[in-house]
Amino acid sequence: MSLVADRVEPSTKMDVPESESQADERNRSLIKISNFDFFYGDKQALFDINMDIAEREVTAFIGPSGCGKSTLLRCINRMNDLIDIARIGRGNVQVNGVDVYDERVDATELRKRVGMVFQKSNPFPKSIYENVVYGLRIQGINRKSVLDDTVERCLKGAALWEEVSDRLDTSGLSLSGGQQQRLCIARALAVEPDILLMDEPCSALDPVATAKVEELINNLKNRYTIVIVTHNMQQAARVSDKTAFFYLGNLIEMNATVQIFMSPEKEQTEAYISGRFG
Amino acid sequence: METALLGTPTRAKSIERIVFWLFRLATYFVLLCAAAIFADIFYKGGKTVFQSAFPFVNVAFLTESPQTLHVFEHAGQKYELSDSAFRIFKEEQGVSIVSETYAYSGGGIWPCIVGTVLLVVGAMLIALTLGVLSAIFLSEYSRPGKTLNAVRLSILNLAGVPSIVFGIFGMGMFVLAFGWNVSLIAGWFTLAFMVLPIVISASEESMRAIPQGLRDASLALGATKWTSIRTNVLPYAMPGILTSSIIGVARVAGETAPIMFTAAYALRDQLPWQGLERWYDFFFQGVMALPYHIYVVSAKIPQNEYTSRMQYGTAFVFLFIVAGITLISILLRIRMRKKYRW
Amino acid sequence: MSDREPEDRYDLSSRRKSFLGLTKESALKGLFGGNAFVSIVVLGLITFFLFKEGFGFFGQYREDLTIYRKSGLEYVELMREEQNALSALNRYLNSIRTLQSEQLTESGLEFSDVKAVLRKDEDFFYDFEDLAFPLREHILEASEVVATARDSYEEMLDLQEHRQNLINAGRQSEANSFEITEIDLGQMFELVKSKEGDFNAINRHLEEEIPALLERAPIYDDPDLNSRMNRFKELATLFLSEIPVYEERIVLWNREDAISIGESFTSFIFGKKWVTNSSIQNWYGIVPLFSGSLLVAMIAMFFAVPFGVGAAVYVNQVARPLEQNLIKPFIEFISAIPSVVIGFFGIAVFGTLIRNMSGWDSMEWVNFFPLSERLTGFTAGCLLALMAIPTIFTLAEDALNNVPIAFKEASMALGSTKLQTIIRIIVPTALSGIISAVLLGFGRVIGETMVVLLCAGNRIEIPQFTEGIGVFFEPVHTMTGIIAQELGEVVNGSLHYRALFVVGLTLFLISLLINYFAQKIVLKFQISRG
Repeated sequence: MSLVADRVEPSTKMDVPESESQADERNRSLIKISNFDFFYGDKQALFDINMDIAEREVTAFIGPSGCGKSTLLRCINRMNDLIDIARIGRGNVQVNGVDVYDERVDATELRKRVGMVFQKSNPFPKSIYENVVYGLRIQGINRKSVLDDTVERCLKGAALWEEVSDRLDTSGLSLSGGQQQRLCIARALAVEPDILLMDEPCSALDPVATAKVEELINNLKNRYTIVIVTHNMQQAARVSDKTAFFYLGNLIEMNATVQIFMSPEKEQTEAYISGRFG
Repeated sequence: METALLGTPTRAKSIERIVFWLFRLATYFVLLCAAAIFADIFYKGGKTVFQSAFPFVNVAFLTESPQTLHVFEHAGQKYELSDSAFRIFKEEQGVSIVSETYAYSGGGIWPCIVGTVLLVVGAMLIALTLGVLSAIFLSEYSRPGKTLNAVRLSILNLAGVPSIVFGIFGMGMFVLAFGWNVSLIAGWFTLAFMVLPIVISASEESMRAIPQGLRDASLALGATKWTSIRTNVLPYAMPGILTSSIIGVARVAGETAPIMFTAAYALRDQLPWQGLERWYDFFFQGVMALPYHIYVVSAKIPQNEYTSRMQYGTAFVFLFIVAGITLISILLRIRMRKKYRW
Repeated sequence: MSDREPEDRYDLSSRRKSFLGLTKESALKGLFGGNAFVSIVVLGLITFFLFKEGFGFFGQYREDLTIYRKSGLEYVELMREEQNALSALNRYLNSIRTLQSEQLTESGLEFSDVKAVLRKDEDFFYDFEDLAFPLREHILEASEVVATARDSYEEMLDLQEHRQNLINAGRQSEANSFEITEIDLGQMFELVKSKEGDFNAINRHLEEEIPALLERAPIYDDPDLNSRMNRFKELATLFLSEIPVYEERIVLWNREDAISIGESFTSFIFGKKWVTNSSIQNWYGIVPLFSGSLLVAMIAMFFAVPFGVGAAVYVNQVARPLEQNLIKPFIEFISAIPSVVIGFFGIAVFGTLIRNMSGWDSMEWVNFFPLSERLTGFTAGCLLALMAIPTIFTLAEDALNNVPIAFKEASMALGSTKLQTIIRIIVPTALSGIISAVLLGFGRVIGETMVVLLCAGNRIEIPQFTEGIGVFFEPVHTMTGIIAQELGEVVNGSLHYRALFVVGLTLFLISLLINYFAQKIVLKFQISRG
């Protein structure tokens, strides 16, 4: 035990969930965003966001382009750190009770818990096998048996195993668009996250591939907390349990998906859903 | 209607044909000129470098130092001997022989080959270390903005500065101001700084060509910044960096102007590892180099058939080395283009 | 830390080891950043160093020019101009005599007979030659006096500096041990100036004698010779009319006029003479070198632009794919031939080839053929063209390649031929890219050293642009060539050394300017394509 760890541990170790008791408590909030302001340079991108995202549910972020939904998504696993002019204003984002913007939090550790799937599928130019085990290899895990198990488990989890099990050595780039996106999901699963962030995962896919990915999301929600950003309202309606509507950097309304689509509380939400703008 | 479509070529068509032939001729004329230079040097140089008897390569030319050539007649036979052989011959015969001497025309070019290799290796080590590490910083760590653009622009501009300007800089800075004199190390730094802009901008370009998505994906999986650079940027940028550094090698090996005043001696008897008093004297000695040797034998000594052999032989070896390096880089780039397409 | 409990999943603190507060990440970032910093500093240093060494030149050159004036050398040089004019007259006169002797020999006369004919009017020629004698003596004497004075003055300055250095180093006694004779440049100059009367007397003598002598000019049977002799008379009269001008310039010349830094600057930028190792005065004027560089570059571009751009159009638009794949690497390959090898080829083969070709009967219509020189601006220019072609070709081909295929399709769909499409659509769209390719090719040519050093002939003179095309076949010297040739022999910190740095600086600025414009043009091109 190093000194640093001793010093840090008590404060960041707060609210460690008890894995046994939480299993039946479905609506426990895993991500908690409070009074969150976010800036790109001088321009404010998010205004006073407050939301709870429940465990093992699919939460959809919808809204017109530039409304801040992707920005918020990227705040959860701190991918916005990569942008130099990005800056936090007020408020915080807590994952499992830990403020992710606490200076003692290491973004890389955070990202191991909070996986992400991108809009454009981005498999590494390596074999399918190496793509999946990448997250383990960078943690120094190189045992063949562990890796083999992980590949099978994750590819099965991503509903890709049957299509590629005979050609794990071929390049990830040789797969079709939908398969590539599922490979990216499998890759994200390999590091055993609790949360999966999906940034418009189907926007570049054809309807058949989209259906497969949506089916996969449905299967995954038993084990993972999923946040999905989408432009496609039917998709949000099909896959999500909760839906949050954003407009111009504000969270307008968040509620159960059925509620949002059937009887939205806010006028803006209704206007958007019924296709009057956006 | 039918006939109009199939009809005789129109005027526009025949003009087109003539103009295209002019373009074709221009293109092939250029190729022909270059081929003529290659042919001349390979044909005449080949006579010096190769021989008809075993081992077919003129070993003496490649392994001896440049020497004065003695041409004389003795006992009804005509001899052409390099200085060292001539001395032995004289002792054996025990007579004094009057000979015509031709400077630089005997012996070989071994010290030049050695010098060129040393210069290239040292300069590239410096340039690649500085250049690739700088490129990593500029491409992966630095903040985009006006400063970065200005830095990029000035590096790009420096890549076009004539080599003689680097030569005069190296002379003023390393040879005189630092007091390194004409030495390997002064040559290394001069050549390294000459190719530094090329190495930086080419390496940076090949790193920036890698899609941002790969870096994002890797970071989202919990990799640290350095890990994602190491696993997802450098491996794919490596072919580009390699190609640019091979071009750099060709440039470093091929340039004369920067080493004329900083590193090259016209003639030096000892090889770089001979006669060193202290180990670091190695760095502070001048060397012979192929390009400078070609300059010396073609511009500074009287021309005749004997020097001509030396000139062409040196040019052959030099061209062979530089062209070989370039060929490798061209082939590598063609292969690389096929390999990665995002 | 490996013994961490599994339920610590949300301990998100860093698990990386740190050393002295530095993690591996920040250490690496520091390493890369440090290298980038060093690279940038080094590249900046090059610029700084060139400027530093270069700018010292102007102050030093100003001092040098001041001594030149104060010592009276300039005064003597003014007089020498008259002598030079007279010598030119003499040379012209001798050329008439040479021509006459050639004519006589050609007409089949014996050598002795030729001599006899020539002897008839040799008095006239000898007398005219003798006329120049007193003037030459006078100037030689004056020049020796002032040059010696200048030399000892400079020696004194050196000694003074040396002594000052010793004093600064605290070696007072050593400093006092040697004596420095004060040299008064003014006094020496007065000596020369006092003989101005002699100079004027010589002029009076010339004014008297020349007209008288011209009366005795021989008259020839040959009309050509006669017209030449008449021309000589005109020139001589012109010379006479200019004598007062020379005298006036000497009177107007003022030793006390100070030389400004601007003057030293202009005498570099516009100076028509580059003379080093002269016993009288070294001149550092860049015009002959700059015009030489420009001339060679113009010749090179004259060939390289049509061939380079033509080849690019051919390969990109006309050639079959197989041809493309062979020609492109081959032309790229040309750029790999080291310049010293091309220069060597120029000396060994190409220069001789050009000279021999100029001697062919079919080339007789060119009035300045056959050439006497093997190494000329033309030789170097042609070889440089070969070096510029790959640059121009590659960049121009790139620009053509970037023209959207839709443009081509649209044009072809309207029924234009391939050539019409190329001329009207593709080349205009790629034009700025092609122009910047040409500019960068030009930059490559003007900065090239070894080819011009080996093949341009290295004669430091402003090319005679009045000669028409013949100017291309004169030996020239270039900015790059002069550095390569003279840098090895200069003393560190001397005026000559700094002059070469200013030439280097000029080259540096030219290449930056060319690059800047090339980029500007390409940038504009991108905007226009939206």
